[in-house]
Amino acid sequence: MPHVKKSTVLDAPAEAVWDVIRDFNGHDQWHPAVAESHIERGYPSDMVGCVRNFRLEDGAILREQLLTLSDLEQTFSYCLLDTPVPLFNYVAHVRLFPVTDGDRTYWEWESRFDTPAGRAGELSDLVGDGIYVAGFEAIRTHMGIGHA
Amino acid sequence: MARVYTSSVISAPPDRVWDRIRGFNDLPRWHPMIRESRIEEALPADKVGCIRNFNLQNGDNIREKLLGLSDYDMFVTYSILESPMPLEDYVATLRLTPVTEGDRTFIEWTAEFSCDPGDEDELVAMIGTDVFQAGFDALKRQFGGA
Repeated sequence: MPHVKKSTVLDAPAEAVWDVIRDFNGHDQWHPAVAESHIERGYPSDMVGCVRNFRLEDGAILREQLLTLSDLEQTFSYCLLDTPVPLFNYVAHVRLFPVTDGDRTYWEWESRFDTPAGRAGELSDLVGDGIYVAGFEAIRTHMGIGHA
Repeated sequence: MARVYTSSVISAPPDRVWDRIRGFNDLPRWHPMIRESRIEEALPADKVGCIRNFNLQNGDNIREKLLGLSDYDMFVTYSILESPMPLEDYVATLRLTPVTEGDRTFIEWTAEFSCDPGDEDELVAMIGTDVFQAGFDALKRQFGGA
């Protein structure tokens, strides 16, 4: 089972980063891969169990379910329900930790999943670089912060 | 319980930082506050349960017991057995986590302890700043960091 883990440091307080990324329905505001997002059945986006429905820039539809959300720990996790790419049993975790030295944020994003035989490397790169690292960079742009 | 949480970023890969800090008897090699250290009963420094007995630059003596050590997860946990500080039940963990962007190290040092409520603020500030952050500053001087 591939395991992808990416992490970075943002030059902004963890509370400020958490304010942006905790919104399970807000990723269309900052992630370049997401064109439109809504929460199915009109549920609140911080209700554990809610499902977000993404339309990607290429028109594909992707559905993900919020599994956990903690404002105390500044973490959330989610799984893929429907996806145009062959990622199976995909569960991802997002965690923020304060960097007290300089009031910055350590951010890690990781997942485990199954893939069709022979495609683990290619799909791990897609997830790690195309989603997570691109997401880090997009948050920097969205929040107007530099590299730290 | 009083709690201390201090964290920073070191501009070196975690395995290099871990090499420097994993030795339970190695504080004098990297922490400017520590003058000399030995392991009691000549036990190996990575034997969980061993006791380090060290002196600060100011002459204070502290004894600490190794409670947990993981090369895989890169953390060390220890308790204070004896120290001049007015606290009890002190348990601390020093942990490294990779920052994949830039191949750097996220370093966290946490502690929990009991003390007289009137001493808490001063102890939290002293441990967080003079011990933990001072250690980070020394590692940043040795390895680089922002």
